[in-house]
Amino acid sequence: MHNDFVPVPAILEHVVVETPTIKTFVLRPAEPLSFRAGQFVQLYVPGVGEAPFTPSSSPSEAERLEVTVLAAGRVTAALHALHAGAEIGIRGPFGRGYPLRKLEGREVVVVGGGVGLAPLRSLLHTLFECPGLAHRVSIKYGARSPEELCFRRQHAEWAARRGVDFVPTIDRPASGWSGRVGLVTTLLDGMDVDAKEACAVCCGPEVMLKFVARKLIDVGFAPERVYLSMNRNMTCGMGICGRCNVGSLYLCKDGPDLSYAEVQHVPYALG
Amino acid sequence: MRRDARPGSRPQGQLVKHITPAALVTLANELAETHDVFAPREAGDRLVLDRMASAGSGRPPWNAYRLPDPLKSIWFHPGRILARWPPRENPPPSRPCALFGAKACDLKAVACLDRVLRDHEFKDPAWCSARERTLIVAGDCTDCAPTCFCTTVGDLPYPTSLFDLCLSPTSDGYLVEAGSAMGERLLSDHTDLFVDAPPEAVARRDRARAEIVARVRALNERFPVRDPFAQSVSKHDRTRIWAELAATCVECHACNMVCPTCHCFLVHDLPAPDGAARLRLWDSCFSASHARMAGGLTPRLQLTERFRNHYHHKFVAFPRNWGITACSGCGRCIEACMGRIDKRECLHKLETRWIPSEIDRELD
Repeated sequence: MHNDFVPVPAILEHVVVETPTIKTFVLRPAEPLSFRAGQFVQLYVPGVGEAPFTPSSSPSEAERLEVTVLAAGRVTAALHALHAGAEIGIRGPFGRGYPLRKLEGREVVVVGGGVGLAPLRSLLHTLFECPGLAHRVSIKYGARSPEELCFRRQHAEWAARRGVDFVPTIDRPASGWSGRVGLVTTLLDGMDVDAKEACAVCCGPEVMLKFVARKLIDVGFAPERVYLSMNRNMTCGMGICGRCNVGSLYLCKDGPDLSYAEVQHVPYALG
Repeated sequence: MRRDARPGSRPQGQLVKHITPAALVTLANELAETHDVFAPREAGDRLVLDRMASAGSGRPPWNAYRLPDPLKSIWFHPGRILARWPPRENPPPSRPCALFGAKACDLKAVACLDRVLRDHEFKDPAWCSARERTLIVAGDCTDCAPTCFCTTVGDLPYPTSLFDLCLSPTSDGYLVEAGSAMGERLLSDHTDLFVDAPPEAVARRDRARAEIVARVRALNERFPVRDPFAQSVSKHDRTRIWAELAATCVECHACNMVCPTCHCFLVHDLPAPDGAARLRLWDSCFSASHARMAGGLTPRLQLTERFRNHYHHKFVAFPRNWGITACSGCGRCIEACMGRIDKRECLHKLETRWIPSEIDRELD
């Protein structure tokens, strides 16, 4: 019988240092791993542990995927200690992925916080590769400091795209920074979008999601068109280990992206 | 019957057999030659579920009501190696298994876990293999523990499905009913051990079953429950009642460990001499670290939220997701609780207590 707990070996081809705390791992799994934007995988450091991550690369590339990881705990610290050539394990993909059909033909506001831009990058790849999909893409990205802005190597390229606007912000003023200062929610006031019809896809710390969702509702977004990437602690990825539930929903198989309409009435849903 | 009740229905014309206690011992001992047999074993003044010695046992494998151990301790074994690294097949189990001592509440829990671990796109290899190769010899309850409340959750103290053989005690042995092709084969393979039951025996068994149903109901008259559990639990989504219910909870996790339907687990990855192993350990939703993320954010940080989540899962989410209440009314959680928290009393309070001023406005 097929055993879903056995990881597939993957070779770490390359490590990109994104920020002092974030690295992107370029992986080549022993067998191609097809995923939809927003679906997640479990990365396994042999003998150490496993943790869930949404790939940050394009879903059109199944043989080589990128996973962008913030060093935050035991498994992520072990990942950060790895060098090119290391062998790790990978399981997945799991979850539903971003609701691409519902984004079709609409303006899409992509709101990221810190390493939360990583899963959204796979959505951006998808949106850019299918030019007809979203009518317009507006990226609002917040990080603590200029050094902590992830994927800086690509920001100019994103901003230069037709139909795309990219606005980063940092939490506190910093020398050498001439861009916006303030939490990412401050970028959501006075946006040039038709809020009633637009969709928002948000990923970041849960406390950020909570305030971003409230702000988006305040400025006129429909709760069912505000999607929150709730990437919580997930052991199995298949809806059986019991830890990632929000009310009756399991983030691993019903998410990890849920609409605000799905979570707003669930008690204590957002941290 | 209410809620999950699945009243027993025996195919018309099916033969009911009879077996003596001595012949039942013989059956268990014969099975032990080819099977791993799990059966009730005397441990001091009580019975526990244990692997039967290969030499067999002189005691009929019988218990009057459910054993302290949930069946998941055999089929969802804590500490089982789920996977190895580098990837390779787990060694296949060597022998089939035979299980004596299962009661209706145990089988209800099996029905719950089958849904999670077998009957959807994900198949838990260990569970599926154990289910396929285990012969289940179940039995009617002829007595109940002070904590039994299967009738409250809409179930019955005698098995109606999911068994291969079901034993119902008589004055001189047991009536035996087959519930599957495997059970029927066992009857036909051991004609020396089983005789046809006298015609009036089934009526006597049904009277005994009605009596035990009445006893369990009488035992729980103190905790009447009328509304659907999902309604009683959901209406307290944001009330302070959970602080009252959880007041004596010491977060020992015993209720989760003995619960036959609880199946939360974590995977403990560790180095092994030939690579690495992935071990499954039981986890508890009462533990603050259950949902904690790297970086420290902990959903359900307060015990009251975890307590509510436990009830929500069993009585709201599980029925919504899987069509069955994740409580068998076995009462093990009540027996195990150091804080003397009684699930029946909690369910009763959840239904009857509603004071609008309890709404916690700070949460909104």
